[in-house]
Amino acid sequence: MSTAERKGAVARRGFLRGAALAGAGLAAGGAAAPITATAAATPTVAPFHGPHQQSVLAAPRRVSAFTAFDVTAENRAELTDLLRTLTDRARFLATGGTPEPVGITGPPADSGILGDELPSRALAITVGVGAALFDDRFGLGKLRPRRLTPMPSFPDDDLQMDWCHGDLSLQLHADDTDTVLHALRDIARHTRGGMQVRWRLDGFSSPPRPSGTPRNLLGFKDGTANPDATDAREMNGLVWVGRGMGEPDWAVGGSYQVVRLIRMLVEFWDRVSLSEQERMFGRARESGAPLDGDAEHDTPDYADDPKGDVIPLDAHIRLANPRTTATAGQRILRRAYNYDRGMDSNGNLDMGLLFCCYQQDLARQFETVQKRLAGEPLTDYIKPFGGGYFFALPGVRDASDWYGRALLT
Amino acid sequence: MVLSGLRRRSPRLWGVLGLTLVCLAAGVLALAHGGRPARAASDGLPHTTVEVSPGRCGRGWDHPVSGVQVFEMHNTSDGPAEVYLEEPRSQAVYGELEDIGPGTTRPLTVRLGRGAYAFKCVPDDADAVTGPTVHITTGSSGPAAAPVTEHDLIPPALAYQKWVGGGLDQVVRLTTRLRAAIDRGDLAGARAAWLPAHLEYERLGAAYDAFGDADAEINGTDAGLPGGVHDKDFTGFHRVEYGLWHGQSATELRAPAAGLVKALTTLRDTWAQARMDPAQLGLRAHEILENTVQFELTGRTDYGSGTNLATARANLDGTRQVLSRLRPLLATRYADLPRLDAESAIAQDTLDGFRHGDAWTPLKRLTRTQRESVDAVLDDLVERLASVATLCDPRRTV
Repeated sequence: MSTAERKGAVARRGFLRGAALAGAGLAAGGAAAPITATAAATPTVAPFHGPHQQSVLAAPRRVSAFTAFDVTAENRAELTDLLRTLTDRARFLATGGTPEPVGITGPPADSGILGDELPSRALAITVGVGAALFDDRFGLGKLRPRRLTPMPSFPDDDLQMDWCHGDLSLQLHADDTDTVLHALRDIARHTRGGMQVRWRLDGFSSPPRPSGTPRNLLGFKDGTANPDATDAREMNGLVWVGRGMGEPDWAVGGSYQVVRLIRMLVEFWDRVSLSEQERMFGRARESGAPLDGDAEHDTPDYADDPKGDVIPLDAHIRLANPRTTATAGQRILRRAYNYDRGMDSNGNLDMGLLFCCYQQDLARQFETVQKRLAGEPLTDYIKPFGGGYFFALPGVRDASDWYGRALLT
Repeated sequence: MVLSGLRRRSPRLWGVLGLTLVCLAAGVLALAHGGRPARAASDGLPHTTVEVSPGRCGRGWDHPVSGVQVFEMHNTSDGPAEVYLEEPRSQAVYGELEDIGPGTTRPLTVRLGRGAYAFKCVPDDADAVTGPTVHITTGSSGPAAAPVTEHDLIPPALAYQKWVGGGLDQVVRLTTRLRAAIDRGDLAGARAAWLPAHLEYERLGAAYDAFGDADAEINGTDAGLPGGVHDKDFTGFHRVEYGLWHGQSATELRAPAAGLVKALTTLRDTWAQARMDPAQLGLRAHEILENTVQFELTGRTDYGSGTNLATARANLDGTRQVLSRLRPLLATRYADLPRLDAESAIAQDTLDGFRHGDAWTPLKRLTRTQRESVDAVLDDLVERLASVATLCDPRRTV
């Protein structure tokens, strides 16, 4: 990016502190002049630019922060400023490099918690919008993604409004806590005038124990039956919004994001016999294999077990994914994390699942599955208390593109 | 507002000791490469080793390049020094390092483009020396500003101090009225008199380091007091507030009210002799509202009157009083000043929206949307005001 462009950006985005403070930063890759000579040796996250937010497909990294914001920008121009600033920060944070020096004109441009130079491609960022953004504040009502509504309260939910919904969602994940917190702090700093945090929950993904899919805090492998995120055709059929689906043009390339904050009553759970636990899930706790199989990735054969003698008819995996041709299109891409937030008011551990999933169609996929799961035996041991529906925006295509450009222009 | 002196200047000794260790290795490296062309380091940026000393200030910068780069500033003299990278004609500063210990090397990262530059070395115990001018022919430089000197800050500090003196007269007058209502047993009248007196004091918040210990007595909270709100050392506006809004009798409140008037009167009388450190002015411009965000917008300082938003509004007034005195210095230095003014006006409108005659909406009655809008506008302001503090930090130029 030339300095002239950066200066223009400062003037245009003046309402937010961000641009005035630090410009766009010096990106180490992507469209800007490369400053970092070598790529990191550790596996990197997908490049920031592209038709989709690749972070949607990325396997969960070890550490995650999920934050919902309320937009305080007062009009469409300010919302545009906000999204451009958010894009600039996200691009820089994802791409890495050296923060722009500011001399004596301000405090340091960066918190410094990652050192002087930000790592390249160590952080995945996903930005979504909630149904609330399409109210009368910004004149976007007619452009609302057709299936985007506020998250309803499902029969087994006990929702707390302070932990629900939001105008914008921001999901950050990386392999180190400092990387995630650095990004959250940077983004909040640059956008204080335009949005305020509504709720935030941090999550983590466990290492394989001892192998295979990471376990949730009930001790079971979680996400085994996910569709293959490397299969573009499958992703186009299940995750990405495409043309001809009745969605507004701007939404093509995006994806519906469901976030559910689910407390797990772990003390209660730990007092349940292993066979009962396994029958609730339909899988063996140790191997993760379906109860009619030997290995984690064996496919359960429900046709061979019509009465549920081996895998009960109300087992979680059987209700969630009946493995029929008719239900194949209902599958979701699960991207769940564990969470831990201390203790509750009567001394029980407050931990559970920061469930997140992506799909092309909320009604056809998540809600259909959710309705099938209503009243499953597992509901006695979990308590969904928050979350929201969001629409993960189409990707930022290049250095001049920004989150929501097609929506706002 | 809790006036606890949020910020102290960087603890110098600590900084020098810590950096000595860190920079030993860098120093050796720098000496080995002194005088060579700018070289790429592991961070991918060009690094140039430059001398800091009265006789050889700026030596070593023989191969200028444009863009973001690091100067390894090596102090070869036998005393600590500061160094500025400036545009020699306007003396606009692109980067600075304070307190480089003798024999140590510290990195200075800047963006340089087309223009003329020179290092200015400012030894602690000698006159400033400017090194050779270096020209760069391409690119655009990062932001720069002319340094503000202590001399520049004396007139605004004096003007501000005088304004505070006038404000203290008002506070004493209004607080005497509050005490009179309590003395005659008129608690409703006392509740009505409390807010104007408190707000008049909150408007002066900028002077807090100058008020010193007096502020804890006048406007402290029960934080740190073993007996909490019942502690005998809980005094001042918030002690009286607690009593007035928690059913205490006039008899119980007489001593705290008299103590408050006495403390304020003493402060007013000593104020004329006090000298405010001009270096404090820029910090105050920033930190009054930091206190507001920390103590008012969280409700920490509410002892029953529910007037945190009124206090925030008074603090905003106080901030603008400081800014108005700094304005001539900021106008040529702070490119974003018009935005700051605009945001400050929005903050005023937002807060005024919660005023209903003499009453203010208590913080806890705000809807989520209202609270977010207040938080957003004041959070935005403190981000912007941080630059006022760094720009108005007095710097030695000769």
